[in-house]
Amino acid sequence: MSTINFARKEISFKIVYYGPAMSGKTTNLKQIYSGLEDKVKGDFTSIATETERTLFFDFLPLELGSVKGFTIRLSLYTVPGQYIYKLTRKSVLRSTDGIVFVADSQMEKREENIESFKDMVENLIDFGEDPENIPIVLQYNKRDLNNILTVEELERDLNPNKKYQYFEAIATNGINVVETLKVITKLVVQKV
Amino acid sequence: MEGRLSKIQIALNEEELRHIEEIFGEYLSESEAKDIVLLNKSGELLAKSGDITSDVAQNISALAAGVFSATNELARLLGEKEFTITFHQGQETNIHISLITQNVLLAMIFDNRLPIGAIRFWAKKVGNFTRPVIEEAEKRALTQTQKIMNEDVNKDIEDLF
Repeated sequence: MSTINFARKEISFKIVYYGPAMSGKTTNLKQIYSGLEDKVKGDFTSIATETERTLFFDFLPLELGSVKGFTIRLSLYTVPGQYIYKLTRKSVLRSTDGIVFVADSQMEKREENIESFKDMVENLIDFGEDPENIPIVLQYNKRDLNNILTVEELERDLNPNKKYQYFEAIATNGINVVETLKVITKLVVQKV
Repeated sequence: MEGRLSKIQIALNEEELRHIEEIFGEYLSESEAKDIVLLNKSGELLAKSGDITSDVAQNISALAAGVFSATNELARLLGEKEFTITFHQGQETNIHISLITQNVLLAMIFDNRLPIGAIRFWAKKVGNFTRPVIEEAEKRALTQTQKIMNEDVNKDIEDLF
């Protein structure tokens, strides 16, 4: 939930990168971290296992600059995608202002994408949130790989009513990573 | 996306922030705490006191809120509604995190001189003094019906990146 600090003229937002295991959520944050100037970004914190799989979350604070006189602060989080971390994932999603759903475009990941999206909606409802009212942007990642689902197939699975804006991305190369962040930022800022 | 306003958790004004900083300043020396950090359940830093830098306080906020949120999933698994206090004890440093309103957490960091009972006493005291100020700011957030970003922000956000 956004926090407005009228004393410091700051508004803070929480954005969560959600999605199935290994879909590229942490890669998104790492690309954002490496691409932005030092003065904009804080420390990148990652709570990961020894094999660099996210255990709890990754966290990247950004202080982007000012919009209509208010400094915009973003806290970017990723959730752990693996099934066993269901409750940890839920706990990271609490009180979020916006979500980037990172789907894995590979054909064999189809069910996992659908399951993860369903899990996200259920968690939001559990928190008393209206999933219809939370800004969500879809990112169809790994578009450079072979054997991937078409955008139409992904849309049919995750965005049948064309409610959400989507990006085709190759997060490892930074393609459409910042563009995704830009759109979710616009959506959350516009809501306050 | 159309829809109602984003839920704003808390809207702190200058007077409230000053008041909180006064409370923290007073009890920081009295309790011999090293740092006091006020944060919300989203992990956002609201106020801080002590030698701690803003960057570190921000990271503490994100991690403390994460720990708190995870602890509460644990509580529910055990049939508890929620655990309102989390305490971590180290060789040199202790941190006490407590829920002081529905959305706001107070983290107090101490060295190892004080016994746990004293830490709990001070955390409770600081929490009790801070709570009414936060509740006021939360109440105001609920009635914040006027949009703050009432103009088109697209171009401004383009310029931020």
